[in-house]
Amino acid sequence: MGLLDVILGRTKPVEANLDKLFALPGARITLEASEGLVPTGQAGVCFKPSAGQGFAETEQEIAGMLAGASSGASAKLSEEADEYGYRWVVVGDADFDDLVTHAHFVNSTLREHGYGPQLLCSVFGFAPGPAPGSAPGRSGSVRASTYLVYLYKRGTFYPFVPAGAERRDNEAELRLKAELGKDLSVEPDLERWFPLWGLPVY
Amino acid sequence: MAARTRYPTDKGLTTRMLSTVFLLGLLYAAFVAILVAVHVKLALILVLALGILFVQYFFSDRIALYSMGGRIVTRDQAPRVPGGTELFAVIDRLVALADMPHPQVAIANSDMPNAFATGRDQKHAVVCVTTGLLRRLDEPELEAVLAHELSHVAHRDVAVMTIASFLGILAGLMTRMFYFAGLFGGMGGYGGGRGGGGRGGNSNAGGQLVLIELGMVLVSAVIYAISFVLIRTLSRYRELAADRSGAILIGQPALLAQALVKVSGEMSRIPSRDLRAAEHFNAFFFAPALAPGASISTLFATHPPLQRRLDQLAKLDAEMRRGAA
Repeated sequence: MGLLDVILGRTKPVEANLDKLFALPGARITLEASEGLVPTGQAGVCFKPSAGQGFAETEQEIAGMLAGASSGASAKLSEEADEYGYRWVVVGDADFDDLVTHAHFVNSTLREHGYGPQLLCSVFGFAPGPAPGSAPGRSGSVRASTYLVYLYKRGTFYPFVPAGAERRDNEAELRLKAELGKDLSVEPDLERWFPLWGLPVY
Repeated sequence: MAARTRYPTDKGLTTRMLSTVFLLGLLYAAFVAILVAVHVKLALILVLALGILFVQYFFSDRIALYSMGGRIVTRDQAPRVPGGTELFAVIDRLVALADMPHPQVAIANSDMPNAFATGRDQKHAVVCVTTGLLRRLDEPELEAVLAHELSHVAHRDVAVMTIASFLGILAGLMTRMFYFAGLFGGMGGYGGGRGGGGRGGNSNAGGQLVLIELGMVLVSAVIYAISFVLIRTLSRYRELAADRSGAILIGQPALLAQALVKVSGEMSRIPSRDLRAAEHFNAFFFAPALAPGASISTLFATHPPLQRRLDQLAKLDAEMRRGAA
Protein backbone atom coordinates (compact mmCIF):
# COMPACT_ATOMS: atom_id res chain seq x y z
CA MET A 1 0.00 0.00 0.00
CA GLY A 2 1.49 3.28 -1.13
CA LEU A 3 1.69 6.51 0.79
CA LEU A 4 -0.95 8.07 -1.45
CA ASP A 5 -3.35 5.24 -0.59
CA VAL A 6 -2.74 5.86 3.10
CA ILE A 7 -3.36 9.58 2.71
CA LEU A 8 -6.49 9.10 0.63
CA GLY A 9 -7.77 6.21 2.75
CA ARG A 10 -8.32 3.59 0.14
CA THR A 11 -7.44 -0.04 -0.38
CA LYS A 12 -6.87 -1.84 -3.61
CA PRO A 13 -8.74 -5.13 -3.75
CA VAL A 14 -6.21 -7.95 -3.82
CA GLU A 15 -6.27 -10.15 -6.91
CA ALA A 16 -6.11 -13.90 -6.64
CA ASN A 17 -3.07 -15.91 -7.67
CA LEU A 18 -4.16 -19.20 -9.22
CA ASP A 19 -0.98 -20.67 -10.72
CA LYS A 20 0.25 -22.32 -7.54
CA LEU A 21 -2.69 -24.76 -7.65
CA PHE A 22 -0.78 -26.87 -10.13
CA ALA A 23 1.81 -27.69 -7.49
CA LEU A 24 -0.80 -29.90 -5.81
CA PRO A 25 -0.24 -33.18 -7.73
CA GLY A 26 3.35 -33.16 -6.44
CA ALA A 27 2.20 -32.60 -2.88
CA ARG A 28 -0.28 -35.42 -3.20
CA ILE A 29 2.54 -37.89 -3.82
CA THR A 30 4.38 -36.63 -0.75
CA LEU A 31 1.24 -36.91 1.38
CA GLU A 32 0.64 -40.49 0.32
CA ALA A 33 4.26 -41.52 0.80
CA SER A 34 4.83 -39.93 4.19
CA GLU A 35 1.39 -39.91 5.82
CA GLY A 36 -0.63 -42.48 3.91
CA LEU A 37 -3.13 -39.84 2.90
CA VAL A 38 -4.95 -40.13 -0.40
CA PRO A 39 -7.24 -37.64 -2.12
CA THR A 40 -10.93 -37.98 -1.38
CA GLY A 41 -11.71 -36.77 -4.87
CA GLN A 42 -13.38 -33.63 -3.64
CA ALA A 43 -12.38 -30.02 -3.78
CA GLY A 44 -14.15 -26.84 -2.77
CA VAL A 45 -13.83 -23.34 -4.13
CA CYS A 46 -14.93 -20.81 -1.57
CA PHE A 47 -15.89 -17.26 -2.49
CA LYS A 48 -17.84 -14.32 -1.19
CA PRO A 49 -20.97 -13.63 -3.23
CA SER A 50 -21.25 -10.04 -4.32
CA ALA A 51 -24.20 -7.75 -4.91
CA GLY A 52 -25.30 -7.46 -8.49
CA GLN A 53 -26.86 -9.34 -11.30
CA GLY A 54 -23.52 -10.02 -12.97
CA PHE A 55 -22.48 -12.30 -10.20
CA ALA A 56 -25.63 -14.37 -10.56
CA GLU A 57 -24.85 -14.74 -14.25
CA THR A 58 -21.31 -15.85 -13.51
CA GLU A 59 -22.63 -18.47 -11.13
CA GLN A 60 -24.95 -19.74 -13.83
CA GLU A 61 -22.12 -19.76 -16.32
CA ILE A 62 -19.91 -21.84 -14.02
CA ALA A 63 -22.79 -24.18 -13.36
CA GLY A 64 -23.45 -24.51 -17.10
CA MET A 65 -19.81 -25.03 -18.03
CA LEU A 66 -19.15 -27.54 -15.30
CA ALA A 67 -22.37 -29.36 -16.11
CA GLY A 68 -21.10 -29.62 -19.67
CA ALA A 69 -17.73 -30.79 -18.43
CA SER A 70 -19.22 -33.30 -16.04
CA SER A 71 -21.40 -34.89 -18.68
CA GLY A 72 -18.28 -35.67 -20.68
CA ALA A 73 -15.85 -36.40 -17.91
CA SER A 74 -16.17 -37.65 -14.39
CA ALA A 75 -16.56 -34.29 -12.65
CA LYS A 76 -19.43 -33.75 -10.27
CA LEU A 77 -20.46 -30.34 -9.15
CA SER A 78 -22.63 -28.87 -6.49
CA GLU A 79 -23.09 -25.51 -4.89
CA GLU A 80 -23.48 -24.84 -1.21
CA ALA A 81 -23.75 -21.89 1.13
CA ASP A 82 -22.04 -21.92 4.51
CA GLU A 83 -23.03 -20.27 7.76
CA TYR A 84 -20.64 -17.36 7.20
CA GLY A 85 -22.29 -16.18 4.02
CA TYR A 86 -19.71 -17.68 1.68
CA ARG A 87 -20.54 -19.87 -1.29
CA TRP A 88 -18.81 -23.11 -2.10
CA VAL A 89 -18.56 -24.74 -5.48
CA VAL A 90 -17.80 -28.34 -4.63
CA VAL A 91 -16.10 -30.29 -7.39
CA GLY A 92 -15.80 -34.04 -7.39
CA ASP A 93 -13.49 -36.06 -9.60
CA ALA A 94 -11.81 -39.35 -8.83
CA ASP A 95 -8.74 -38.36 -10.84
CA PHE A 96 -6.75 -35.90 -8.75
CA ASP A 97 -5.09 -34.13 -11.69
CA ASP A 98 -8.50 -33.57 -13.28
CA LEU A 99 -9.86 -32.37 -9.95
CA VAL A 100 -7.15 -29.72 -9.74
CA THR A 101 -7.89 -28.69 -13.33
CA HIS A 102 -11.61 -28.38 -12.57
CA ALA A 103 -10.95 -26.34 -9.45
CA HIS A 104 -8.64 -24.10 -11.42
CA PHE A 105 -11.35 -23.71 -14.05
CA VAL A 106 -13.94 -22.58 -11.52
CA ASN A 107 -11.46 -20.13 -10.10
CA SER A 108 -10.37 -18.69 -13.42
CA THR A 109 -13.98 -18.30 -14.57
CA LEU A 110 -14.69 -16.26 -11.45
CA ARG A 111 -11.54 -14.24 -11.95
CA GLU A 112 -12.23 -13.54 -15.63
CA HIS A 113 -15.49 -11.96 -14.57
CA GLY A 114 -13.68 -9.64 -12.22
CA TYR A 115 -14.39 -11.52 -9.01
CA GLY A 116 -10.77 -12.36 -8.16
CA PRO A 117 -10.94 -10.22 -5.01
CA GLN A 118 -13.97 -12.22 -3.84
CA LEU A 119 -12.14 -15.55 -3.80
CA LEU A 120 -11.36 -16.75 -0.26
CA CYS A 121 -9.73 -20.14 -0.60
CA SER A 122 -9.76 -23.51 -2.33
CA VAL A 123 -9.82 -26.66 -0.28
CA PHE A 124 -8.70 -30.15 -1.30
CA GLY A 125 -9.78 -33.12 0.74
CA PHE A 126 -7.52 -36.00 1.82
CA ALA A 127 -8.23 -39.04 3.94
CA PRO A 128 -6.23 -41.96 5.37
CA GLY A 129 -5.52 -44.39 2.55
CA PRO A 130 -7.04 -47.85 2.34
CA ALA A 131 -3.64 -49.53 2.37
CA PRO A 132 -2.96 -50.50 6.00
CA GLY A 133 -0.16 -52.79 4.91
CA SER A 134 2.20 -49.90 4.55
CA ALA A 135 0.90 -48.02 7.55
CA PRO A 136 2.44 -49.77 10.58
CA GLY A 137 5.95 -48.68 9.71
CA ARG A 138 5.02 -45.02 10.05
CA SER A 139 4.73 -43.36 13.36
CA GLY A 140 2.16 -40.68 13.97
CA SER A 141 0.55 -40.71 10.56
CA VAL A 142 -2.63 -38.70 10.28
CA ARG A 143 -5.72 -40.76 11.12
CA ALA A 144 -8.36 -38.22 10.18
CA SER A 145 -9.63 -36.19 7.28
CA THR A 146 -7.04 -33.71 6.20
CA TYR A 147 -7.48 -30.67 4.03
CA LEU A 148 -5.06 -28.61 2.06
CA VAL A 149 -6.29 -25.03 1.96
CA TYR A 150 -5.03 -22.66 -0.71
CA LEU A 151 -5.03 -18.96 0.10
CA TYR A 152 -5.33 -17.08 -3.17
CA LYS A 153 -4.22 -13.73 -1.91
CA ARG A 154 -1.03 -15.14 -0.45
CA GLY A 155 -0.35 -17.83 -3.02
CA THR A 156 0.27 -20.24 -0.12
CA PHE A 157 -1.19 -23.46 1.26
CA TYR A 158 -1.78 -24.68 4.77
CA PRO A 159 -2.99 -27.99 6.19
CA PHE A 160 -6.22 -28.18 8.17
CA VAL A 161 -6.79 -31.33 10.24
CA PRO A 162 -10.05 -31.15 12.18
CA ALA A 163 -10.13 -33.41 15.25
CA GLY A 164 -13.67 -33.57 16.54
CA ALA A 165 -15.89 -30.74 17.69
CA GLU A 166 -14.13 -27.48 16.76
CA ARG A 167 -10.73 -28.86 17.64
CA ARG A 168 -7.86 -29.31 15.29
CA ASP A 169 -4.82 -31.51 15.39
CA ASN A 170 -2.09 -28.86 15.48
CA GLU A 171 0.63 -31.46 15.88
CA ALA A 172 -0.33 -33.19 12.65
CA GLU A 173 -0.68 -29.85 10.90
CA LEU A 174 2.82 -28.74 11.88
CA ARG A 175 4.24 -32.10 10.80
CA LEU A 176 2.48 -31.73 7.44
CA LYS A 177 3.92 -28.25 7.15
CA ALA A 178 7.43 -29.64 7.37
CA GLU A 179 6.69 -32.46 4.95
CA LEU A 180 4.94 -30.31 2.36
CA GLY A 181 7.58 -27.59 2.43
CA LYS A 182 9.42 -29.12 -0.53
CA ASP A 183 6.38 -29.28 -2.81
CA LEU A 184 4.26 -26.30 -1.85
CA SER A 185 4.79 -22.85 -0.50
CA VAL A 186 3.29 -23.29 2.96
CA GLU A 187 1.86 -20.17 4.61
CA PRO A 188 4.55 -19.09 7.11
CA ASP A 189 2.24 -16.95 9.26
CA LEU A 190 0.41 -19.44 11.49
CA GLU A 191 -2.16 -16.78 12.39
CA ARG A 192 -3.50 -17.12 8.87
CA TRP A 193 -4.19 -20.87 9.17
CA PHE A 194 -7.83 -20.23 9.97
CA PRO A 195 -10.11 -23.19 10.70
CA LEU A 196 -12.93 -24.03 8.30
CA TRP A 197 -15.39 -25.82 10.54
CA GLY A 198 -18.24 -27.54 8.81
CA LEU A 199 -16.85 -27.10 5.35
CA PRO A 200 -18.90 -28.92 2.69
CA VAL A 201 -15.94 -30.88 1.31
CA TYR A 202 -15.00 -34.43 2.25
CA MET B 1 -6.86 8.55 19.96
CA ALA B 2 -9.53 6.47 21.55
CA ALA B 3 -12.50 7.69 19.60
CA ARG B 4 -10.85 8.04 16.24
CA THR B 5 -12.41 5.01 14.64
CA ARG B 6 -15.36 4.41 16.88
CA TYR B 7 -18.28 3.00 15.08
CA PRO B 8 -21.04 4.29 14.78
CA THR B 9 -21.69 7.56 16.56
CA ASP B 10 -23.38 7.72 19.88
CA LYS B 11 -24.13 11.44 19.90
CA GLY B 12 -24.10 12.09 23.64
CA LEU B 13 -20.93 10.07 24.06
CA THR B 14 -19.30 11.72 21.10
CA THR B 15 -20.13 15.20 22.35
CA ARG B 16 -18.59 14.43 25.70
CA MET B 17 -15.51 12.86 24.19
CA LEU B 18 -15.19 15.77 21.82
CA SER B 19 -15.33 18.37 24.55
CA THR B 20 -12.72 16.42 26.42
CA VAL B 21 -10.40 16.10 23.49
CA PHE B 22 -10.90 19.78 22.69
CA LEU B 23 -10.20 20.86 26.25
CA LEU B 24 -7.21 18.57 26.47
CA GLY B 25 -5.83 20.09 23.31
CA LEU B 26 -6.52 23.59 24.59
CA LEU B 27 -4.73 22.69 27.76
CA TYR B 28 -1.83 21.45 25.74
CA ALA B 29 -1.71 24.67 23.75
CA ALA B 30 -1.95 26.76 26.93
CA PHE B 31 0.81 24.67 28.45
CA VAL B 32 3.05 25.43 25.50
CA ALA B 33 2.11 29.11 25.70
CA ILE B 34 3.10 29.23 29.35
CA LEU B 35 6.37 27.53 28.59
CA VAL B 36 7.08 30.14 25.94
CA ALA B 37 6.07 32.93 28.32
CA VAL B 38 8.52 31.76 30.96
CA HIS B 39 11.33 31.75 28.40
CA VAL B 40 11.73 28.02 27.92
CA LYS B 41 13.71 27.37 24.77
CA LEU B 42 11.57 26.59 21.75
CA ALA B 43 13.73 23.55 21.02
CA LEU B 44 12.77 22.05 24.35
CA ILE B 45 9.08 22.65 23.62
CA LEU B 46 9.47 20.90 20.29
CA VAL B 47 11.11 17.96 22.03
CA LEU B 48 8.21 17.80 24.49
CA ALA B 49 5.64 18.02 21.70
CA LEU B 50 7.41 15.27 19.79
CA GLY B 51 7.51 13.21 22.97
CA ILE B 52 3.74 13.44 23.33
CA LEU B 53 3.34 12.56 19.66
CA PHE B 54 5.46 9.45 20.18
CA VAL B 55 3.47 8.38 23.21
CA GLN B 56 0.24 8.82 21.23
CA TYR B 57 1.66 7.00 18.25
CA PHE B 58 3.11 4.02 20.07
CA PHE B 59 0.58 3.60 22.86
CA SER B 60 -2.59 4.50 20.99
CA ASP B 61 -3.76 0.88 21.05
CA ARG B 62 -3.40 0.53 24.80
CA ILE B 63 -4.86 3.98 25.54
CA ALA B 64 -7.90 3.30 23.39
CA LEU B 65 -8.42 -0.18 24.82
CA TYR B 66 -8.12 1.09 28.36
CA SER B 67 -10.59 3.92 27.84
CA MET B 68 -13.16 1.57 26.33
CA GLY B 69 -12.57 -1.19 28.86
CA GLY B 70 -11.59 -3.69 26.17
CA ARG B 71 -9.82 -6.93 27.01
CA ILE B 72 -7.61 -8.71 24.50
CA VAL B 73 -9.12 -12.11 23.77
CA THR B 74 -6.99 -14.95 22.44
CA ARG B 75 -8.28 -17.61 20.13
CA ASP B 76 -8.37 -20.11 23.00
CA GLN B 77 -10.41 -17.81 25.22
CA ALA B 78 -12.86 -16.92 22.48
CA PRO B 79 -15.36 -19.76 23.08
CA ARG B 80 -15.97 -18.46 26.62
CA VAL B 81 -17.47 -15.26 25.26
CA PRO B 82 -20.90 -15.63 23.66
CA GLY B 83 -20.33 -15.17 19.94
CA GLY B 84 -16.54 -15.22 20.40
CA THR B 85 -15.86 -18.22 18.18
CA GLU B 86 -17.95 -16.70 15.46
CA LEU B 87 -16.11 -13.39 15.84
CA PHE B 88 -12.78 -15.07 15.18
CA ALA B 89 -14.18 -17.05 12.25
CA VAL B 90 -15.47 -13.88 10.60
CA ILE B 91 -12.22 -11.97 11.13
CA ASP B 92 -10.16 -14.94 9.87
CA ARG B 93 -12.04 -14.93 6.58
CA LEU B 94 -11.99 -11.18 6.14
CA VAL B 95 -8.23 -10.86 6.66
CA ALA B 96 -7.71 -13.71 4.17
CA LEU B 97 -9.87 -11.87 1.62
CA ALA B 98 -8.11 -8.56 2.23
CA ASP B 99 -4.65 -10.15 2.59
CA MET B 100 -3.70 -8.47 5.82
CA PRO B 101 -2.18 -9.80 9.06
CA HIS B 102 -4.57 -11.04 11.71
CA PRO B 103 -5.26 -8.22 14.18
CA GLN B 104 -5.53 -8.74 17.92
CA VAL B 105 -9.12 -9.07 18.99
CA ALA B 106 -10.55 -7.39 22.06
CA ILE B 107 -13.99 -7.49 23.62
CA ALA B 108 -15.38 -4.70 25.76
CA ASN B 109 -18.04 -5.60 28.26
CA SER B 110 -20.66 -3.02 27.34
CA ASP B 111 -24.22 -3.31 26.21
CA MET B 112 -23.85 -0.46 23.74
CA PRO B 113 -23.35 -1.98 20.29
CA ASN B 114 -20.05 -0.55 19.19
CA ALA B 115 -16.70 -1.39 17.65
CA PHE B 116 -13.42 0.35 17.05
CA ALA B 117 -10.03 -0.35 15.58
CA THR B 118 -6.76 1.00 16.89
CA GLY B 119 -3.02 0.48 16.56
CA ARG B 120 -0.49 2.40 14.55
CA ASP B 121 -0.07 -0.14 11.75
CA GLN B 122 -1.34 -3.50 10.57
CA LYS B 123 1.07 -5.43 12.78
CA HIS B 124 -0.07 -3.67 15.95
CA ALA B 125 -3.75 -3.48 15.11
CA VAL B 126 -6.42 -4.25 17.67
CA VAL B 127 -10.06 -4.63 16.70
CA CYS B 128 -12.40 -4.25 19.63
CA VAL B 129 -16.11 -5.02 19.72
CA THR B 130 -18.57 -4.71 22.58
CA THR B 131 -20.58 -7.63 23.89
CA GLY B 132 -23.66 -5.61 22.95
CA LEU B 133 -22.58 -5.63 19.31
CA LEU B 134 -22.01 -9.39 19.37
CA ARG B 135 -25.43 -9.95 20.85
CA ARG B 136 -27.45 -7.62 18.68
CA LEU B 137 -26.03 -8.09 15.20
CA ASP B 138 -26.49 -11.22 13.18
CA GLU B 139 -23.48 -12.75 11.49
CA PRO B 140 -23.57 -10.92 8.09
CA GLU B 141 -24.05 -7.58 9.85
CA LEU B 142 -21.20 -8.30 12.24
CA GLU B 143 -19.06 -9.11 9.24
CA ALA B 144 -19.94 -5.76 7.64
CA VAL B 145 -19.00 -3.86 10.80
CA LEU B 146 -15.71 -5.76 11.07
CA ALA B 147 -14.94 -5.10 7.39
CA HIS B 148 -15.36 -1.39 8.15
CA GLU B 149 -13.02 -1.61 11.14
CA LEU B 150 -10.41 -3.65 9.24
CA SER B 151 -10.50 -0.97 6.55
CA HIS B 152 -9.55 1.56 9.20
CA VAL B 153 -6.58 -0.66 10.01
CA ALA B 154 -5.64 -0.99 6.33
CA HIS B 155 -5.91 2.78 5.86
CA ARG B 156 -3.68 3.34 8.90
CA ASP B 157 -6.16 5.81 10.27
CA VAL B 158 -4.69 5.95 13.76
CA ALA B 159 -1.30 6.99 12.42
CA VAL B 160 -2.82 9.49 10.01
CA MET B 161 -5.01 11.10 12.65
CA THR B 162 -2.21 11.22 15.23
CA ILE B 163 0.04 13.02 12.80
CA ALA B 164 -2.80 15.28 11.67
CA SER B 165 -3.54 16.41 15.21
CA PHE B 166 0.14 16.95 15.83
CA LEU B 167 0.34 19.19 12.76
CA GLY B 168 -2.46 21.31 14.19
CA ILE B 169 -0.55 21.77 17.39
CA LEU B 170 2.61 22.51 15.46
CA ALA B 171 0.74 25.17 13.47
CA GLY B 172 -0.18 26.94 16.70
CA LEU B 173 3.42 26.74 17.83
CA MET B 174 4.74 28.17 14.58
CA THR B 175 2.35 31.12 14.74
CA ARG B 176 3.70 32.05 18.12
CA MET B 177 7.24 31.71 16.90
CA PHE B 178 6.68 34.04 13.94
CA TYR B 179 4.84 36.48 16.15
CA PHE B 180 7.88 36.77 18.35
CA ALA B 181 10.26 36.91 15.46
CA GLY B 182 8.35 39.87 14.00
CA LEU B 183 8.14 41.71 17.33
CA PHE B 184 11.75 41.50 18.34
CA GLY B 185 13.32 41.71 14.95
CA GLY B 186 14.01 37.97 15.01
CA MET B 187 17.68 38.45 15.95
CA GLY B 188 17.77 38.36 19.71
CA GLY B 189 14.86 35.97 20.02
CA TYR B 190 12.19 36.42 22.63
CA GLY B 191 14.44 35.84 25.63
CA GLY B 192 16.81 38.58 24.47
CA GLY B 193 14.00 41.01 23.82
CA ARG B 194 12.62 40.50 27.28
CA GLY B 195 16.02 40.85 28.86
CA GLY B 196 16.48 44.24 27.21
CA GLY B 197 13.42 45.59 28.96
CA GLY B 198 15.51 48.34 30.56
CA ARG B 199 15.89 50.14 27.25
CA GLY B 200 12.47 51.75 27.11
CA GLY B 201 10.03 53.01 29.73
CA ASN B 202 9.73 50.14 32.12
CA SER B 203 6.03 50.31 32.98
CA ASN B 204 5.02 50.92 29.39
CA ALA B 205 6.97 47.95 28.07
CA GLY B 206 5.55 45.73 30.79
CA GLY B 207 1.97 46.61 29.82
CA GLN B 208 2.72 45.92 26.17
CA LEU B 209 4.17 42.55 27.03
CA VAL B 210 1.03 41.51 28.87
CA LEU B 211 -1.05 42.55 25.89
CA ILE B 212 1.27 40.68 23.55
CA GLU B 213 1.07 37.54 25.63
CA LEU B 214 -2.71 37.75 25.81
CA GLY B 215 -2.76 38.17 22.05
CA MET B 216 -0.54 35.16 21.65
CA VAL B 217 -2.79 32.97 23.71
CA LEU B 218 -5.74 34.16 21.66
CA VAL B 219 -3.99 33.51 18.35
CA SER B 220 -2.90 30.04 19.38
CA ALA B 221 -6.40 29.25 20.64
CA VAL B 222 -7.88 30.33 17.31
CA ILE B 223 -5.31 28.32 15.38
CA TYR B 224 -6.03 25.32 17.51
CA ALA B 225 -9.79 25.71 17.08
CA ILE B 226 -9.42 25.85 13.31
CA SER B 227 -7.17 22.80 13.21
CA PHE B 228 -9.61 21.00 15.48
CA VAL B 229 -12.48 21.53 13.06
CA LEU B 230 -10.25 20.47 10.18
CA ILE B 231 -9.19 17.28 11.95
CA ARG B 232 -12.85 16.42 12.62
CA THR B 233 -13.57 16.95 8.93
CA LEU B 234 -10.69 14.67 8.04
CA SER B 235 -12.00 12.07 10.46
CA ARG B 236 -15.46 12.13 8.85
CA TYR B 237 -13.89 11.76 5.45
CA ARG B 238 -11.94 8.72 6.62
CA GLU B 239 -15.09 7.15 8.05
CA LEU B 240 -16.66 7.37 4.62
CA ALA B 241 -13.50 5.91 3.11
CA ALA B 242 -13.63 2.97 5.54
CA ASP B 243 -17.33 2.45 4.77
CA ARG B 244 -16.51 2.28 1.11
CA SER B 245 -13.54 -0.10 1.41
CA GLY B 246 -15.40 -2.28 3.88
CA ALA B 247 -18.42 -2.54 1.62
CA ILE B 248 -16.22 -3.41 -1.35
CA LEU B 249 -14.41 -6.04 0.71
CA ILE B 250 -17.60 -7.93 1.56
CA GLY B 251 -19.11 -7.14 -1.84
CA GLN B 252 -22.41 -6.07 -0.25
CA PRO B 253 -22.81 -2.36 0.51
CA ALA B 254 -26.43 -2.97 1.51
CA LEU B 255 -25.30 -5.18 4.41
CA LEU B 256 -23.14 -2.45 5.90
CA ALA B 257 -26.02 0.01 5.51
CA GLN B 258 -28.29 -2.46 7.27
CA ALA B 259 -25.85 -2.85 10.14
CA LEU B 260 -25.48 0.94 10.43
CA VAL B 261 -29.22 1.45 10.63
CA LYS B 262 -29.61 -1.35 13.12
CA VAL B 263 -26.88 -0.15 15.45
CA SER B 264 -27.98 3.49 15.20
CA GLY B 265 -31.51 2.44 16.01
CA GLU B 266 -30.33 0.38 18.96
CA MET B 267 -28.16 3.25 20.13
CA SER B 268 -31.03 5.67 20.39
CA ARG B 269 -33.04 3.41 22.65
CA ILE B 270 -30.49 1.99 25.02
CA PRO B 271 -32.19 0.87 28.21
CA SER B 272 -31.54 2.92 31.32
CA ARG B 273 -29.69 0.12 33.06
CA ASP B 274 -26.95 0.32 30.48
CA LEU B 275 -26.64 4.04 30.80
CA ARG B 276 -26.15 3.69 34.52
CA ALA B 277 -23.62 0.97 33.97
CA ALA B 278 -21.72 3.27 31.61
CA GLU B 279 -21.89 6.19 34.00
CA HIS B 280 -18.36 5.84 35.28
CA PHE B 281 -17.19 6.98 31.87
CA ASN B 282 -18.46 10.42 32.74
CA ALA B 283 -15.39 10.93 34.86
CA PHE B 284 -13.24 10.61 31.77
CA PHE B 285 -15.47 12.60 29.49
CA PHE B 286 -15.41 15.58 31.79
CA ALA B 287 -18.52 17.21 30.34
CA PRO B 288 -21.31 14.84 31.29
CA ALA B 289 -23.95 17.53 31.55
CA LEU B 290 -23.56 18.59 27.93
CA ALA B 291 -26.67 17.89 25.93
CA PRO B 292 -26.10 16.20 22.59
CA GLY B 293 -26.26 19.43 20.62
CA ALA B 294 -27.39 18.89 17.07
CA SER B 295 -25.96 21.78 15.08
CA ILE B 296 -22.49 22.04 16.55
CA SER B 297 -21.98 18.30 16.56
CA THR B 298 -22.22 18.16 12.77
CA LEU B 299 -19.22 20.46 12.52
CA PHE B 300 -17.28 18.66 15.23
CA ALA B 301 -18.48 15.11 14.61
CA THR B 302 -15.88 12.41 14.03
CA HIS B 303 -18.41 10.43 12.02
CA PRO B 304 -20.54 11.66 9.12
CA PRO B 305 -24.31 11.78 9.58
CA LEU B 306 -25.97 8.39 9.16
CA GLN B 307 -27.86 9.57 6.08
CA ARG B 308 -24.63 10.63 4.40
CA ARG B 309 -23.14 7.19 4.99
CA LEU B 310 -26.27 5.41 3.80
CA ASP B 311 -26.38 7.55 0.66
CA GLN B 312 -22.80 6.68 -0.14
CA LEU B 313 -23.44 2.97 0.36
CA ALA B 314 -26.59 3.08 -1.78
CA LYS B 315 -24.63 4.76 -4.55
CA LEU B 316 -21.88 2.16 -4.28
CA ASP B 317 -24.45 -0.62 -4.40
CA ALA B 318 -25.97 0.84 -7.56
CA GLU B 319 -22.50 1.20 -9.10
CA MET B 320 -21.64 -2.42 -8.36
CA ARG B 321 -24.89 -3.65 -9.83
CA ARG B 322 -24.49 -1.51 -12.92
CA GLY B 323 -20.84 -2.43 -13.36
CA ALA B 324 -21.55 -6.10 -12.94
CA ALA B 325 -24.54 -6.31 -15.24
